[in-house]
Amino acid sequence: MSTSKQAQSQKGSMSSIGYQSIAGVYDEALAKSGEVRPHWSYVLSSLQNLTLENLTQRQIKTQRILRDDGATYKPFSDQERTWELDTVPFVLDNDTWKVIEAGILQRTELLNLLLKDIYGRQELIHQRVIPPEAVFAHPGFLRPCFGIAPPSEHALLLHAVDMVRTPDNQIRIIGDSTQSPSGAGYALENRTVMTRVFPSLFRESQVHRLAVFFQSLRHKLNSLSPDGDLPNIVVLTPGSRSESYFEHAYLANYLGYSLVQGRDLTVRNGLVWMKSLSGLSRVDVILRRVDDFFCDPAELKSDSYLGVPGLLEVIRSGKVVVANPLGSGILESPVFLKYLPAISQALTGQDLQLPNVATWWAHDPLDREYIFDNLSKLIIKPVFKKSGQHNVLGSELSPSELDQLRQNIQQRPLKYVAQEFISPSYTPCWQQQKFVSRPTVLRSFVVAGENAYNVMPGGLTRIGKMVDDQLITNQRSALSKDTWILSPEPEQRINLWSDKHQHISIADDRQQNLPSRVVENMFWLGRYAVRAEYALRLLRTVFLQLNNTHELSEESYKTILLAVTQVTETFPGFTAIDSVLFKNPEAELISIIIDADRAGSVVSRLNEMLNCAEEVKVLLSADTQRVINDIRDNVNMLETTIRTDFASAPEEALDPLVTSLLALSGLVHESMIRGYGWRFIEIGRNLERSYQTMSLIRSLLSPVLGEYDEDNTLETVLLTLETLVTYRRRYRARTDILNGLELAVLDDTNPRSLNSLLQGLKEQVQELPLRQEGSLLSKERRITLELLSRIQLAQPELLCALEKGDKSRKALAKLMSESQELLNELSITLSDIYFDHTETHQQVMAASWEDEL
Amino acid sequence: MKYRVRHLTEYEYDYKVSTCYNRAHLLPRETLTQSVNTPRVVIHPTPTTGNRRIDYFGNRVYHFSIQEPHKSLSIQVTTEINIRQQRNNFGEQLGYGNTCAQVQDLLNNTGNNVESLYAREFLLNSPMIMASESLREFASGCFAPNKPFLSAVMDLTHKIFKEFEFDPGVTTVATPLEEVLAHKRGVCQDFAHLAIGCMRSLGYPTRYISGYLETLPPPGQPRIIGADASHAWFSVYSPGEGWFEFDPTNDSVPTHQHIVTAWGRDYSDVSPLRGVIFGGGMTQSLNVSVDVERFEDDLVNDNTVV
Repeated sequence: MSTSKQAQSQKGSMSSIGYQSIAGVYDEALAKSGEVRPHWSYVLSSLQNLTLENLTQRQIKTQRILRDDGATYKPFSDQERTWELDTVPFVLDNDTWKVIEAGILQRTELLNLLLKDIYGRQELIHQRVIPPEAVFAHPGFLRPCFGIAPPSEHALLLHAVDMVRTPDNQIRIIGDSTQSPSGAGYALENRTVMTRVFPSLFRESQVHRLAVFFQSLRHKLNSLSPDGDLPNIVVLTPGSRSESYFEHAYLANYLGYSLVQGRDLTVRNGLVWMKSLSGLSRVDVILRRVDDFFCDPAELKSDSYLGVPGLLEVIRSGKVVVANPLGSGILESPVFLKYLPAISQALTGQDLQLPNVATWWAHDPLDREYIFDNLSKLIIKPVFKKSGQHNVLGSELSPSELDQLRQNIQQRPLKYVAQEFISPSYTPCWQQQKFVSRPTVLRSFVVAGENAYNVMPGGLTRIGKMVDDQLITNQRSALSKDTWILSPEPEQRINLWSDKHQHISIADDRQQNLPSRVVENMFWLGRYAVRAEYALRLLRTVFLQLNNTHELSEESYKTILLAVTQVTETFPGFTAIDSVLFKNPEAELISIIIDADRAGSVVSRLNEMLNCAEEVKVLLSADTQRVINDIRDNVNMLETTIRTDFASAPEEALDPLVTSLLALSGLVHESMIRGYGWRFIEIGRNLERSYQTMSLIRSLLSPVLGEYDEDNTLETVLLTLETLVTYRRRYRARTDILNGLELAVLDDTNPRSLNSLLQGLKEQVQELPLRQEGSLLSKERRITLELLSRIQLAQPELLCALEKGDKSRKALAKLMSESQELLNELSITLSDIYFDHTETHQQVMAASWEDEL
Repeated sequence: MKYRVRHLTEYEYDYKVSTCYNRAHLLPRETLTQSVNTPRVVIHPTPTTGNRRIDYFGNRVYHFSIQEPHKSLSIQVTTEINIRQQRNNFGEQLGYGNTCAQVQDLLNNTGNNVESLYAREFLLNSPMIMASESLREFASGCFAPNKPFLSAVMDLTHKIFKEFEFDPGVTTVATPLEEVLAHKRGVCQDFAHLAIGCMRSLGYPTRYISGYLETLPPPGQPRIIGADASHAWFSVYSPGEGWFEFDPTNDSVPTHQHIVTAWGRDYSDVSPLRGVIFGGGMTQSLNVSVDVERFEDDLVNDNTVV
């Protein structure tokens, strides 16, 4: 068969799946003639052989896996989106890749030299290669970092490069990330998902693997440790609200490092330490995802709470290494794009193999003139991006906006650069059940290896959502693609862990070494989950009782509603004197369920729980993450379902949440490693269950009511504790408070009895590491022992003994409330011993001028 | 001229401070006309870590951290300083040298003059000083193109001295320059910032200097120990001629009575003490006492360069 005929058929089949290239741009998959480019033919023909249904299925599967993995992106702090991955990979042939790879390597080496020059000899300024303003006027030039010796010949350890392909098939660099380049983790996640959704297509395409990049990163970070063989390396994240938090957690897990926030670290005796359950452990290397300006409030931005006070002094002394080094943010200044060809000549005597996009700096009088003459054709970028500032396209501005921009540039020429707008290449994507063509930007990642730099053989491809999207950023809700670089021959699989530096099992070590903040969140995750569960169970029971076939007496009706307020602690609620709510309790009950701003409501408890889960994301299994996602979905839908269901069987609206919470509890019990993280969840759960059970008993069983009414209240307790069936089977006869107490308080065959719960609590607390050796019982152990003894020694007859005229069982109420006090004391004691209580720091003197930067 | 400067800084806190991390610019630097012995630093409570280094601007900086809980903190720095005779009063030669136009021209065409190139850093906006049209307007009358540059700066110094009132009650370190300009009141730091803002708005490199000023008691009265204060003034650059200091608070050209501690773009680069504390409560009180004592014996000589 002749080649032309083959091409013909491919062209035909491409049109059969409806993919059309766009005129005037470079199409990655189709040549001008309409032929499929050879390196795309296997992928496209394989996709084309799938039915529409199958393709749709796989796209749904892709999004589902991403969601289950908790792969999110937060473009704005109040908004969270599931990461979006297009099911068509971005394919590059090996020859093109070799060109790109060589060009990027040259660029990274050059930026490394530039970084060392800026913070060292400043030859480039002396020799007038760059004007002094290029460095001195940039807020990213951190003077306190001047003169710090780089930890190795590589000052720049990580680097990411954004590039596009021009209509005439030239690769152009459009920007660099040098602070804490993001995206490598997303690229890895994209790859993981694609290999699951398209296993055979991936296998047969001979794609370069990514693991080598991360192996190199691990080697390098290990080798930088100032403290010998087994370095403690941490990933420093700004926290769960930061835009790429998923990636921070994901990378920490993948690399086997602890994920920490600034307040998990402290500087003591000239070293950096992590505050962990077992005390302070020294930190050798910090892979940071916090911008450099925020890293040390003692010397940089003084009102930052994301950093570690005193860090810079430790860096200066060489006792800790931070990657990338503080101060490297200045390389992101687009001003350097203008001077980079000259810098390359001056520092290496070479031309750039991959040119930059043409860049003009308004500070230069000739450039400024050019910018003003061509403003509507250019992209205008701030030299230093403050939050909320974006690049703008002159062509998207109205005449008055252009005038305003011109004025801004005139007033502050140092702060603006302009770049030519390059129409990027287009790539096939699968959107809304058809193949469409979208603009494409590739981000490549470079990491320092032991001797040389290594480029990730792949990368993060981003595509515009719309055909005419001209600026592709995550804020503009771009989609991503996995990047497939085709290898001439199949590659060996590399295991990240076949690593000569790694002698011990890190997983074990990390269990002991959890940051105190993580442990604290585990504890509260357990407590909030149970708090929500008990509120849900009680409300479910209350709905059943209110709509029961037999009418409730006014007394038991009131007692039950009062218990709702007391157990959920949503005062005043039904406890308000002469409450009108009794006449019409529905509004109050709905509010107790869905009002997120009301402390004690079901939704507020669930939200607290979800926040804790987000903080400990790294320790949750994939299954657990899925259950957490379900809970989040159910919370979001709760308002609608409860209102719809309220007229009939409102309790059913609550069932899915109870089920999800039980699933969570099961997973914690069945599949979590028995480390300290698990132990603190269990302690939190047992403590809260005991507390809630005591609340129920106190508010429902201590009031003295008529015999028939007491049946109702006891039934409410037993239903809520899910022990009514057992009770009926065991005692057959009518309900009776004495028997009920025996089952709910004493019976150690009932896992929900106080006796069982407190035994569990005592055992768990005994497993915690002791802070002080000695023969005396530690405070937390004494409390659990006292609690257990009090409950075990309780005698139902005495607790229920009444004198004439008594309106409540005082002994029972007293035992419950005193036990609750002890539980509170236990919680405070645990928190004092094991959680971090450093106050937040403040400046010696307020420094409001930093905001002007 | 030889001086012994004792600078005592004391903080009192409402509640205990558990740890603190500080950076102090309290150790006078070496300059072309000023030599300094190794300053003695005494801190209570005793710091856990302490480290001296030279910062980006060539100033001496002292980093220290304290891990012992404390309710008060005191830092005392004692330094002996020798101001050389070479620090002549150039006040009589203001009429010579570059004109304003020449200064600008030489700045834009720096040729091989690296010092001029680097001086351009002090033309740029800095954290506390933004150039503005109103600052330019305030000062422009003093600067005619053909006027000798230094005499123009002296005129600006004089103008600030004449039109502004020294008033310690109205400003803080964070008071914006525009407000100082509007109210025409402030302290030495405000006047230095104001002059720097004016100079930069007109396109002249200018830096901020912190230091001390010897104050002499009225004739016949004893010197009061601890009554002195730290002081601030500014320095301008004339290409090929160097840096020249002016003191707008005293309408003078600093000579042997001005002792330099540090310089930078503005106060924020050289604030005497910055850092963070853990704990300490909502309020803290600060007490600073400075004592500049002249002495005649030969404790310091020009060789004690450290």
